[in-house]
Amino acid sequence: MTTRAEFLRRIRTEMGRTSGLFPAETSARPAQPRERLELLRRELAERWRENLRHFQREFERVGGVLHRVTVAAEVPDAIAALAAERGLQRVVAWHPDALGLDVAAPLAARGLTTSTAPAAEVAAAEREQRRALAAAADLGVTGADLAIAETGTLVVVSGAGRPRSASLLPPCHVAVFDREVLVESLLQAGLVLEAWHDGATSEARGASINFITGPSRTADIELTLTRGVHGPKEVHAVFVEQGLGPRRG
Amino acid sequence: MSEPAPATPLRERAGRALADPFLQEALTIATTKFIGLRREAFGEFPEGEALRDRARAIKEATLQHLDQHLERLIDNVERRGGHVHYATSGEEAREVVLAIARRTRARMAVKSKSMATEEIHLNEALEAAGVTPVETDLGEYIIQLAHERPSHIIAPAIHKTKGQVAELFARELGRETQPDPEVLTRIARAELREKFLQADMGISGANFGVADTGTIVLVTNEGNGRMVTSLPRVHVAVMGVEKVIPSMTDLAVFLAILAKSATGQKLSVYTSLVNGPRRGGELEGPEEFHLVLLDNGRIGQVAGPLREALSCLRCGACLNVCPVYRQIGGHAYGYTYPGPIGILLTAMLNGAGAVKDLAHASSLCGACADACPVRIDIPRMLIELRREVGERRIAPWPERVAFGAFGRVLRRPVVYRLATRLGRVLQRPFVRRGSIRRLPLFLGDWTRTRDLPPIAARTFQERWAALEREGLS
Repeated sequence: MTTRAEFLRRIRTEMGRTSGLFPAETSARPAQPRERLELLRRELAERWRENLRHFQREFERVGGVLHRVTVAAEVPDAIAALAAERGLQRVVAWHPDALGLDVAAPLAARGLTTSTAPAAEVAAAEREQRRALAAAADLGVTGADLAIAETGTLVVVSGAGRPRSASLLPPCHVAVFDREVLVESLLQAGLVLEAWHDGATSEARGASINFITGPSRTADIELTLTRGVHGPKEVHAVFVEQGLGPRRG
Repeated sequence: MSEPAPATPLRERAGRALADPFLQEALTIATTKFIGLRREAFGEFPEGEALRDRARAIKEATLQHLDQHLERLIDNVERRGGHVHYATSGEEAREVVLAIARRTRARMAVKSKSMATEEIHLNEALEAAGVTPVETDLGEYIIQLAHERPSHIIAPAIHKTKGQVAELFARELGRETQPDPEVLTRIARAELREKFLQADMGISGANFGVADTGTIVLVTNEGNGRMVTSLPRVHVAVMGVEKVIPSMTDLAVFLAILAKSATGQKLSVYTSLVNGPRRGGELEGPEEFHLVLLDNGRIGQVAGPLREALSCLRCGACLNVCPVYRQIGGHAYGYTYPGPIGILLTAMLNGAGAVKDLAHASSLCGACADACPVRIDIPRMLIELRREVGERRIAPWPERVAFGAFGRVLRRPVVYRLATRLGRVLQRPFVRRGSIRRLPLFLGDWTRTRDLPPIAARTFQERWAALEREGLS
């Protein structure tokens, strides 16, 4: 088997035989991404209405549905309403600390079977059970760590209390977010990723970051657009005007 | 070398494609649609042109320090608990994956679409070792059931009708159904959901590997990439060494142009950033993460004539605009990578000898270079390949003799003028309605599929000379 040293040596040998095609530079990384992000957030706070409108336009273009509520306490109503319309019953949700909101009790009170993810490590057997639960669920409730207006994209970071499956396995995904996470462009999202990498998120975060731009889709049979091939067929975003509670992670 | 040569010559493969009316229609519809979607996406995105230049520069700059970026990627993957493997050839890459499968006692592997694993013919090797590979991208799933190979980089089953897919599902899955894409997709979802939950191993490629963070980035529309990297207990990603990029800032640049070039979407539905195995507190994620760094002819081109092709993002835009691809489709190329970029990648993987015919399967019109998000000058490299094929005597002898003679004539003005005069006489019996449609003997190969414009009654040189005489008088 080829070793790391051999492999890299071959690359260096080849590199030594050329000076490249033209002078070129990679992107300059932001020097202090967390500080830069703070600045950007303050700027964006002034334009959130405009950015939300832009987000809505793009999100709807890719097949998402935006709902707006004033306070966090109205979120369960919005979720229960869309569950009722579609006859959905079983819900899996992020942990309240990750969501900035407890949906379990209010959804249960509205007749929905709801299970929220544990906030800390659990044994393999329980992980297995919870995966089966998510696979059987009709609706998954998550937060969003970033919402990108330019592309209508929701970004979810996995971690304790933030299962990946909630936005993947159920046929209907509802993401709850507020103006704090709204950015304008993909390039700004790049800055956010730099800041996260620079330690702007806690160590409790998991190994997967997903950019979600509308419902799962395919056009593999005669280029006919079909939704919900592996992931959710429907993606909803609930915007909380006055903001969600403090979030961990 | 690494891929077997096709059993039939290119002319025959192309002929079959040209004679298949359904394939012709499917190709026209698909490629025309992709072209329109791409144009629309960039039309709405004025900053796109500048970002394409940035992306091109990032790729070239990364290659200039490839060793350092790879080392950083390797260190960061390992820091996050992942394992990195090194494969010089396709065979070695297969061995690495099989060894992981054996050690972890994997019986079934779910795969998200990956040209790198197609290139190393991984599925056959897995099957032979008793591991069932299941392609989970809908298009790849269809062609796997049909025992075929992808015909387009991003739409592997564009050559199949919904009727053919319905027949296939009835035969292979025992599910009788209407030829309705919606219903067929639902069946595939149910079939594959089971596999995702059962599989021991997930195998993916990588669209990018971010050196700063040790992140593997996968871009999909269906969500199968997320399943493959989150549900099985082992995840193996096979990545060509040229896929490394330095930072998240660079990643944002590529994401802004990749989907627009491929499908005209602003962003594909899912962009998944994978940072190694499951972390404490997570409910899902593999217990093991492996990254297989693949050379397979790439490193040899770092200083080689095909260096620029190492910038390819595998978006498929050059296929859609290519007048040759649009006629003959992906299968006729005979190797894993079709289209203009595919010819270069085939030469990279299998040596120039593999493309002695394919190097000529281009009109050199330049549409591919225009469409390429990172502006790879594909025609320039095709010309180089033709020269190499000629010089190394890989081309058939009549072609070598003819072009050799032609070259000598062009270099000598006196001979050239003589030859045009002679040609004008000799061509007379062959000119029909203003063009030469058929030439005798081996020259007939040239006119079999194209007409030759005859030598003009008065050549440009003669007119120019006449004009100069008038000007002087």
